[in-house]
Amino acid sequence: MTLATQRSPGTGSTEQVAAAMVAGVRVYGAGETAVRALDGVDVQFRAGQFTAIMGPSGSGKSTLLHCLAGLDRLTSGKAFVGDTELSALNDRAMTLLRRERIGFVFQSFNLVPTLTARENIVLPLSLGGSKPDAAWFGALTAALGIDQRLAHRPDELSGGQQQRVAMARAMITRPELILADEPTGNLDSHAAAELLGQMRAAVDTYGQTVVMVTHDARAAAFADRVVFLSDGRIVRELLAPTSELILATIQQLGT
Amino acid sequence: MLRLTVLGVLAHRVRYAMTALAVLLGVAFIAGTLVLTDTIGRTFDGLFVDIYHDTSAVVRGQQAFSAPANFASVRPAIPDTLVAQVRAVPGVREVRVGIDGYAQLVGTDGKAIGNPAAGAPTLGQAWNATRTMNPYRFLPGSQPPVTATEVAIDKHSADAGHLRVGDRVTVLTKRAPAVYRIVGIFRWGSADSPLGASITLFDATTAANVLGEPGKVSEIDVAADPGVSQAELVHRLSGALAGARVDIVTGQQVTREGQSAVRKALGFFNTFLLAFALIALFVGSFLIFNTFSIVVAQRLRELGLLRAVGASRLQVTASVLGESTLIGLLASAAGLGAGIGLAVALRALLVAFGIDIPSTGLSITGRTVLVSMLAGTVVTVLAALQPARRAGAVAPIVALQAPVTSERPRTVRRTISGATVTGLGLLALLIGLFAGVSDRLVIVGSGAAITFLGVSIFGPVLVGPVARAIGVPLAARGTAGRLARNNVLRAPKRTASSAAALMIGVALVAVMSTLAASIRSSISAVVDRTMRADFVISSGGQAANSIAGLSPSLADRLALLPQVASATGVRADTVRIFGSTTVVLATDPAQVSQLFDVQPRQGQLATLSAGQLAISQHVADTRKLRLGDPVPVTFVRGVHSFTVGAIYGARDLAGDYVLPIAAAQQWFTSQLDFQVYVRLAGGTSAEAGRAVLTQQLKAYPSATLMDRSEYKHAQEAQIDQLLNLVYALLGLALIIALVGIGNTLALSIHERRRELGLLRAVGMTKSQLRRTVQAEAGIVSVFGTGQGLLVGVLLGWAVVAAMHSQGVTRLSVPVLQLLLVALIAIGAGVLASVAPSRRAARLQVLQAIAADE
Repeated sequence: MTLATQRSPGTGSTEQVAAAMVAGVRVYGAGETAVRALDGVDVQFRAGQFTAIMGPSGSGKSTLLHCLAGLDRLTSGKAFVGDTELSALNDRAMTLLRRERIGFVFQSFNLVPTLTARENIVLPLSLGGSKPDAAWFGALTAALGIDQRLAHRPDELSGGQQQRVAMARAMITRPELILADEPTGNLDSHAAAELLGQMRAAVDTYGQTVVMVTHDARAAAFADRVVFLSDGRIVRELLAPTSELILATIQQLGT
Repeated sequence: MLRLTVLGVLAHRVRYAMTALAVLLGVAFIAGTLVLTDTIGRTFDGLFVDIYHDTSAVVRGQQAFSAPANFASVRPAIPDTLVAQVRAVPGVREVRVGIDGYAQLVGTDGKAIGNPAAGAPTLGQAWNATRTMNPYRFLPGSQPPVTATEVAIDKHSADAGHLRVGDRVTVLTKRAPAVYRIVGIFRWGSADSPLGASITLFDATTAANVLGEPGKVSEIDVAADPGVSQAELVHRLSGALAGARVDIVTGQQVTREGQSAVRKALGFFNTFLLAFALIALFVGSFLIFNTFSIVVAQRLRELGLLRAVGASRLQVTASVLGESTLIGLLASAAGLGAGIGLAVALRALLVAFGIDIPSTGLSITGRTVLVSMLAGTVVTVLAALQPARRAGAVAPIVALQAPVTSERPRTVRRTISGATVTGLGLLALLIGLFAGVSDRLVIVGSGAAITFLGVSIFGPVLVGPVARAIGVPLAARGTAGRLARNNVLRAPKRTASSAAALMIGVALVAVMSTLAASIRSSISAVVDRTMRADFVISSGGQAANSIAGLSPSLADRLALLPQVASATGVRADTVRIFGSTTVVLATDPAQVSQLFDVQPRQGQLATLSAGQLAISQHVADTRKLRLGDPVPVTFVRGVHSFTVGAIYGARDLAGDYVLPIAAAQQWFTSQLDFQVYVRLAGGTSAEAGRAVLTQQLKAYPSATLMDRSEYKHAQEAQIDQLLNLVYALLGLALIIALVGIGNTLALSIHERRRELGLLRAVGMTKSQLRRTVQAEAGIVSVFGTGQGLLVGVLLGWAVVAAMHSQGVTRLSVPVLQLLLVALIAIGAGVLASVAPSRRAARLQVLQAIAADE
């Protein structure tokens, strides 16, 4: 099995835009207590690229991710996944978009406790009433090193294993976009490095598009590109970042 | 801590409101019942005082034993010669001669007025032109009857029959029906009539003729001269009437007897309604237990924090118990209020059934308030006891840990304790059913309650295998089904206690349905097997102690018809034999075999003489009686010893004792037939027979003509009517159970909101989520209903077995009906999940994911 055959059609061209936001504004609340979580964000995420989003607490990085994932809606501006403009979608269409075209990894509580690892991984497929491609499922779980733990329930897995099961679930549909919200936040450094390496490999090997929110410079260094957010605006970008460069930039931005 | 308690209740007010609703319904029933019966009781207390206030003494016949009275005098009549003797006693101011008997008014539509089947008797009484001791308050334009063709009637009957002064009315008595002119309409004290009984007043001579016996009167009421006390008057009367077989009592005594008779009649009603109130509270206690268990489980961290900052174990337990007390008190208070409203509604219902209750202010006694508040609060606190102890047992470290909500039932321990408790419950139940003990109702009720508890202890052990089996078809249909099944399995204890409430409701319905179906098929079988008569004519009255009935003239008239081979009246009375009160039948021995197959075993029923009686094989066996042995029978009028003249097998229809009609004429209280059995002459078709009988019955509007299948249906209809009432009341328990399922689901959803958010985030649609929650409710409902049907049919079988000696000889499980009940219960369970499932689907995905805990 060659790498090329593993690629889904949507990620065939590295020049394609997997997701984007145009003049994105997200305001929570109204009047004096209104908070502008996103304040005019313009950003594109190229297919097959690993992007990290950084910024201090309250800078709007999670909101950006949620708005791209179809979990939250922009107050104004537009968010795209591929060619689909999200604000035009109703709840059902948004749900199907999440199910079929997006993979999500959260910081914690990533798995349904009553389902086994295998059931959790195939959840997006079984919700749509379809069966996983056995070859893809086998390759994925083997690559993530969880093929021996598939019959276990989440409470029988370590934190790192749980996140890798979540990663497998995010990838099982070969989505156009994988969004990760501080996926290593609850892991020890060893498990964190392992998971980040596997995310990197997903991009390199399978041409996946990954957007990850983190506040850990070492985690961000695994990415191809780092986008810095502050007060709801994009303030800086780094390409081919290193930990040192990232830390220096953070210091420079004074946050 | 008190502040924390109050805040804790406020924080979970919606959940607790549902819990409170369960308590409220139960308490409302208790309060409503008590207020209603107190109100009626007080009203009649006053009424009797009013009516007897100027009666100083009453001279009446002696009673050999006190049969359950029904307003009508069941005492033997006394010689009218006593009247003159009473008048001669010094200190007697005035004398009123009472003559009571059966008198049935017939409305202008030709139908009988009043509803003797509901228990209200139709009485005839003699008018006395005395200045004192008259309970009759004539309306303007009314006069008392003075000639043989005049009557006065009570206002309740006048209203019911749309009768006015000047109208002509047919009155049925033990003589032939006759037409009278209404000259007066009266109220009975402050009531339109005593509890809906109808009263027809005749002039004294007519009353003696149509109601009484020649030369006899029912009672003599005496008013004393001023200065002569009631006790003194009774003393003087006793001296003057020494030697006469009479009972002489004070007016106060008669007042008390009347009052206690009403209280006794209300007692049954009271017990009946309170039983359902207890069922509602019992079912509600499962709901309370579940709510508190879940709320405690959800607050583990908070409780751990309390312990960490220095709250003692006892303080934490006390704070949860405090919450339950507060809820119990609030719910009970609300229930008390609702109960007062319910009492008003129930009174209206009784009035609609023809039971006349003078409207007065409601009587809300301290006892009602105390009992209601106590019952609701105690049940709430008891149900919360175990969750409260669990709250106290929370370790301080839990505050720092992620909460673990997984629970594994301790299978072995549960199986043992479940089996033990179930066994104890069944034992109590069987003792209550089969051992000849007193207070059977209480023992059977507690036995059933303990059995239910035992089965519910078993529940969590059963949830695993059963839910897995029920879940198979669901899981096969997709992720929603599989998730639902897994959720049910996640908390087996919660699932089991949520289902337990439904189990009890369904089980009780199943018991009643099984019992009713068995009684029906037993009746059907008995009628088919033993009844040879072609038609039954029923008076609509009760078998015994109802003063209503058919004039013996009816049977005599029918017997003369050429189309009729045999027409025989059957009379009934309540007597004491071998120490127990029982109903005996009396009929013409010569005709019996024409009308029934009584399965004669020994002796000749047909030749029974006046001094003989026939007994069932059952009595012969248990009492070791043989032909010729003496059987002393205590009638109201006295004791008489009969000898066994025949032994028969068919006790289902005839009961254990049959007397010849001659004995009834001498000893029975009522000389009316309660049923007449007719066998047509050979060659007469059923249609022809019916036509001729219908023609004859026109003169007896209280009579109903039934062929065998109509008779069966009529019997069945009576059971169905009672069954429907029971169903309506059990519906209350089912509603509480369903509220419980909805409440448990809502709490579980709140607990699982992050998980639900996750499911939505990875692509579960709203409708899939709704289906998951509904499927969960479906599994719980199927589980509870299944358990309920099983337990119910088993209990029903036990009850039917226990009633074998009362003639319920066949066990019949109404499969279709039970399936319908199951479908309704499961459907309603799923319906109860609609609101929580919608709320689950409306969860904001982001907020759910971001929720802490």
